[in-house]
Amino acid sequence: MTDWNAMSDAEFRKEVRGFLEAEYPEELRHLPHRPKFAEIEHWHRKLHTKGWVAPAWPAEYGGMGLNAAKLLIFYEEQQRWGVNRGRDMGVQMVGPLIIKFGTQKQKNYWLPRILSCEDIWCQGYSEPGAGSDLANLRTRAEIDGDDFVINGQKIWTTMAHDATHIFMLVRTDPDAPKKQQGISFVLAPMDQPGVEVRTITTLSGETEFCEVFFDNARTPRENLVGELNKGWTMAKALLSFERIFIGSPSLAQNALGQLESFARGRGAFDDPVFRDRFAQAALDVEDHAALYSRFADQLKRGETLGADVSMLKIWVTECFQRITELMIEAAGPDGGTVGPLQVGNVSVDVLASFYKARPTTIYGGSNEIQRNILSKAVLGLPD
Amino acid sequence: MQSSEQEEDLRLLRESARTLFDRAGGSGRSRKLRDAGGEFDPDMVRELGEAGVFGVAVPEEQGGLGMGLAAGGVIAEEVGRVIAPEPVVATIGLGLGLLRRLCPEHPKLEQLIGGEASLAVAWQERGPGGASADATCRYADGKLTGGKAWVVGAGGTQDFLVVAEADGGPVLVLAEASADGLVTTRRAQADGSSLGELSFSGTPAAELACGAAVQGALSEAVADATALAAAELVGLSQRAFEITLDYIKTREQFDKPIGSFQVIQHRAVDLNVMCEVAQAAVREVLMRMDGETDASIRARLASRAKARAVTAARKVTRDAIQLHGAVGYTDEFDIGLYLNRALVLSAWLGDDAYHRRIWFDAREEEGAAQ
Repeated sequence: MTDWNAMSDAEFRKEVRGFLEAEYPEELRHLPHRPKFAEIEHWHRKLHTKGWVAPAWPAEYGGMGLNAAKLLIFYEEQQRWGVNRGRDMGVQMVGPLIIKFGTQKQKNYWLPRILSCEDIWCQGYSEPGAGSDLANLRTRAEIDGDDFVINGQKIWTTMAHDATHIFMLVRTDPDAPKKQQGISFVLAPMDQPGVEVRTITTLSGETEFCEVFFDNARTPRENLVGELNKGWTMAKALLSFERIFIGSPSLAQNALGQLESFARGRGAFDDPVFRDRFAQAALDVEDHAALYSRFADQLKRGETLGADVSMLKIWVTECFQRITELMIEAAGPDGGTVGPLQVGNVSVDVLASFYKARPTTIYGGSNEIQRNILSKAVLGLPD
Repeated sequence: MQSSEQEEDLRLLRESARTLFDRAGGSGRSRKLRDAGGEFDPDMVRELGEAGVFGVAVPEEQGGLGMGLAAGGVIAEEVGRVIAPEPVVATIGLGLGLLRRLCPEHPKLEQLIGGEASLAVAWQERGPGGASADATCRYADGKLTGGKAWVVGAGGTQDFLVVAEADGGPVLVLAEASADGLVTTRRAQADGSSLGELSFSGTPAAELACGAAVQGALSEAVADATALAAAELVGLSQRAFEITLDYIKTREQFDKPIGSFQVIQHRAVDLNVMCEVAQAAVREVLMRMDGETDASIRARLASRAKARAVTAARKVTRDAIQLHGAVGYTDEFDIGLYLNRALVLSAWLGDDAYHRRIWFDAREEEGAAQ
């Protein structure tokens, strides 16, 4: 077993880059949509053989055991090469939760199946009445013998139509005094009569989001992770790393690169107004990266991140949107055209980029929610 | 990532500079000086010199602390926080920047580090649309003829360091403020300071350096000063934000602190984010400039810093006035002092639009060269 953490950062980066550049399929680079598992299965097999499916998991569970510094490098290299995240909900979300709060039996059963993608997971958190106010969720799980019986509805469930299992937050005690209490974390199989999935067509015409309806669906009681009614605190405990990851510069950096080659091909830089707006966007990205490094250094020193890390997400997502808007501007009369626009040897799908940028200020805690968090937790502003 | 040792050194420097300025009276001192019509306090300059503030970025073998521009940035941020009117950044960046590069043996270097001398640098000239690209101020037979503009610290200085044109190319000369044929006009600035317009007619001056080296050193010194001015704006913005945050936590309307209203909270968050991005970017730039020898890359970095700092300071100080409401528009509240200082510092050495242009052009040139 290689101790990756013992390597120098530069060595490790070289190792990761070398593997990705040699092995990652060219046709999957910078995929504009979320793939179904079948589309990326051959890449997943390679990763699995290499033992690199779960970089953050401890080695004893089949992960790479990377520390925060190495983990950042791993993700930076993935993003640099345009490597698709794959169907990583299992690895990113449910795996760490089982590792932290699950029983030995749960670990033994579920973790290897996550690594091999024998089970493909989707995340059942949001509901029609519980988006930004997630704790308002109403989907019920009632104990009936050895099972939970689940009734209710989840929404914005990414790729639920291509998942075998769902991990979900459900209400197990409707009489708890606070709505954050009485929520539990359960795992459930998708393939059963009480579960119905309907895809949602997005503005860009994709169907990656779904609604999931539960009508007396069942899951064994042993699929409860952690304590009953403690699901909220558990789910929140996992968000620390997620919060720097969601604010990483890569999306905006990649879009800026696209914008630059596209704008150059279209002659947009002849216009001094466009030049200035491009310079603003480019500096917004560069200066964000400086702030990102500050937080990354904190992680590397082994410190935990404070609520202030939310500012990365606010800045970079809004910047990402401005960049994609500049692409549309540079496209001129082609700005409403569906599909890739060819300029010289560059092909840029400006509408796809534009649409891709829209939900970034909504998901992962909308930017308005992030501002609420910062104003309370960081600035100490009163209620 | 900086070494932890360097980080610790900078932290200690920041602490001692903050104590020094706070003990001297913080931003209140700046208001008093302005009200008394004084531009800056010569005693404070001496005190800063004794504390080693001016020499932080001067190499040790030249009598400084050898801590680099990153340390200069720490000082500049603290200057900005209390809007100190002393020309600290101009001294570190321009005066010492030129002397240490061109004539490190000159006694003025040591005096300037020690706060025992004052020296204002005159290098820009007025053109039709702002600063002129060509120097017309001439130096011949030991005498200066022509004019210079936007000279920081001209009001209280003993000597001027002047960049002029001679037959053999650019020269750096030293002229006494009281020299014959030198007329200094002060142009009043928004913050109570002034910028000097100098007019020379056969003014005697001593040559310190000449040739291409002068142009090179000037570009480097201007880049340093630009980045340090950015750091000063970062400190200023941060403090203006803190003052505003305190205000919205205490000011009550509709029986509640106005900081409890979401629209105010979100605006405050945006200012906070702006400050943090600016601080991270400017500090990163200063660190990188310390490790960079290529003059054009250093200049591009400095432009990046100034562009960001001006954008942030503009947003923060103007929103700060709005969040203070009507009292923000009075002279009585300190927040206006910050706005005024930001106006002056933003215009000096180029604002954000200017530096974005410079930055973009340099980036294009570099791209074309590759």
